[in-house]
Amino acid sequence: MSKPKTGVRRRDVLKSASAVAGVAAASAVTGFPFVAKGQGKVIRVGMPTILSGRVAILGESSRAAAQLAVQEFNAAGGINGRKMELIARDSKGSPNEAARVTRDLINSDGCEIIIDAEASSGSFAVQEVIRSLPVLCIHTCSETSALSADPAIRVPTAFRSARQGIHDAVGGGRFAAELVKKRNLKRWMTCSPDYAYGRDNTAEFMEYLKIFEPSVEVVDQAWPKLFEPDYTAFVTRILQVKPQAMYSALWGGDLVSFIEQANLYGMFAGDLAFFSGGLADPPVLKAIRQLPDGLNSVYRYDPQYPAHKGNADFYDNYRKIHPDPTNWSWQNYTAFTFVTKALKATNGNTDGKALADVIRGMEIDSPFSPTGKITMRAEDQTIIGYPVAWGKTVSKSKGMTDWVAVDWGEIQEHEKEWKRRKGYV
Amino acid sequence: MGTTTFRRDLVIAVIALVVLLGIPLVFPSAALRDFIIYVVAYGLLAISLNLLTGYTGLVSFGHALYFAAGAYAFGLLMQSGKVSTLSAFALSILFSAFLALVVGAICVRLKEIYFAFLTLAFQMLFYSVILTWVSLTGGDQGLMGGIPRPPLFGIDLGDPHVFYVFSCVLFVVCVFLLRQITESPFGYTLRMIRDNQERAVFLGVNVFRAKLLAFVLAGSIASVGGIVLALFASGAYPGYAFWTTSGEAIFMIMLGGSQVFIGPIVGAVLLQLLNHIVTIYTEHNGLFLGIIILVAVLGLRRGIADFIYEAWAGRRAARAPAVTAKAQGTEAAAGNKEAAYDPLS
Repeated sequence: MSKPKTGVRRRDVLKSASAVAGVAAASAVTGFPFVAKGQGKVIRVGMPTILSGRVAILGESSRAAAQLAVQEFNAAGGINGRKMELIARDSKGSPNEAARVTRDLINSDGCEIIIDAEASSGSFAVQEVIRSLPVLCIHTCSETSALSADPAIRVPTAFRSARQGIHDAVGGGRFAAELVKKRNLKRWMTCSPDYAYGRDNTAEFMEYLKIFEPSVEVVDQAWPKLFEPDYTAFVTRILQVKPQAMYSALWGGDLVSFIEQANLYGMFAGDLAFFSGGLADPPVLKAIRQLPDGLNSVYRYDPQYPAHKGNADFYDNYRKIHPDPTNWSWQNYTAFTFVTKALKATNGNTDGKALADVIRGMEIDSPFSPTGKITMRAEDQTIIGYPVAWGKTVSKSKGMTDWVAVDWGEIQEHEKEWKRRKGYV
Repeated sequence: MGTTTFRRDLVIAVIALVVLLGIPLVFPSAALRDFIIYVVAYGLLAISLNLLTGYTGLVSFGHALYFAAGAYAFGLLMQSGKVSTLSAFALSILFSAFLALVVGAICVRLKEIYFAFLTLAFQMLFYSVILTWVSLTGGDQGLMGGIPRPPLFGIDLGDPHVFYVFSCVLFVVCVFLLRQITESPFGYTLRMIRDNQERAVFLGVNVFRAKLLAFVLAGSIASVGGIVLALFASGAYPGYAFWTTSGEAIFMIMLGGSQVFIGPIVGAVLLQLLNHIVTIYTEHNGLFLGIIILVAVLGLRRGIADFIYEAWAGRRAARAPAVTAKAQGTEAAAGNKEAAYDPLS
């Protein structure tokens, strides 16, 4: 008598595999996972972003802010009875995937609005999709100025609700120049990640620092690769060069590793003035076990600055969904504020051009601006009036203090000159 | 290659083209159209790689170099505004073929792992050039500002329907060409090199030249896939030249099969489909894709197309002995079964 077979048989595996392949093929033929497009009951908002890998914090904190904004939109009754639904998809940090996911969100899921929470490289890919599928798109994470400043790249229905490099460079240069004058910080060094954003951001910061304080001298520049796990060699190099001040465009986990490894060598124990382009994100500050006092950082997000009730409420409500917000969180939330106001102005019409026409030049009340207002500048479809400020770390509270806001008039004046130099005007 | 085979292939190519062009008429979904264009681009990458892997026995880990070279060369030429679409198309393929000639001339003399690693090294060199030559390539942000699509013989490639037709025609022409190559005496020479290189040498085959020609042809066809993707995405990105893109092409061959001619295309359809579905439902893409591929590879132990073909051939062979065994005995029947599995013919 033959013994009955136990466990999974190969034939069963094959049958299951065939069934999966069959379903997959069938759904492919019919245009998987196709959802009826057009003016349905729900306004679908698509969000291509990075939800996996080393930069997942970008997508997770963006998605949480979007979820909060959608909840509030729906709690307020939506628009003409239409509620909003958020569909966030992972692009895995690949521009090619960002383009594919965005096309899918529009063509397959029927998204009528795209909130692009991609990093810079992905945003340029999304921008090209929007050029061919002109729904309303708001970029919420890309800080690369060319995305909105370069007229060759601009798309009529695409906007930016995010800080941008040139604004922070002018602000950072102005803030650092004042400290240079006060403390006579002439010898500078930089330590930034070796990729386009790291190099551009550092170059722009140093350029404006020299414009405001020409006596500054850059004695050395270190370029650790992106996602470098060991900064020992760079820290010892800094200790050997002994600069009086340094700028770093490191961000996220890289910045946490760098500061913690620098702490081991007592790098911040002396008089070194440290300027960072990415330290003031609450999750970053909290991740550093021994946060040194007095490190300078550009504003990313602070629940206490601007000291506005709306900001505190945003912080509390956000934390019901997700841990601490980041810079990307308020930028995404702001994008939804523009979308909500635009939908009201168009009486619920989600046509890309109609929404773009009302958003262009729109001013919103915002708890994230020191003036209480953020404007979507019409000429290049990007926001102004958001906080461009510099503050100092506080070790005890693992937070920031002494925010110094930079004048937007001065920022815009230098930005105009920069655009002329780049041939954008 | 006989005239009958050529005619049969031609008829199949025409039918395939008609089916592809008919799909949007039956299912007018933009998502489906997009999906097929992705399959076209990656399918050309995979099927061209199989000319090396499946037919010549050269496992290249750097095939995406030519895919990316096509995409970047085409994008840069079109952005320069100095050449027509057709010229940019031809020049991009020529550029990729030249790259393949240079890389191939160095690599094809090597065997197995040495060949695989050197092709990977060249690909990563190209990737590094893309990343560091920011003024030309846009570095890690890719080619920015879109790729212009001026009319080609009055055809507006900016129209998504027209672009779909253009991609499908290109795909069928490339696959048909590849089929003719594999079915030609040259194709059979490649098989002989794969199975027994020494034998080929003794028969007077210039193995180096044959391998190099296969390498250049495969690189040129991969570049067409890159051009299609660059036109579709209106940009080119360094990820095209990253080792993972070559890895995906190898996965497509593993998933679809390397012995049946259209196996890599079946793999491209499956991998793109899996990627689409997995991305929708989870952020743990790698984990789920890995498990699915592992199950497929361990369960089937070969590509799906190979598996289906073998099952079909096995069934045919099993039927044949019933007839032949009566006349010729079981020994001859066993011989038939052996001969029945010859998917490359």
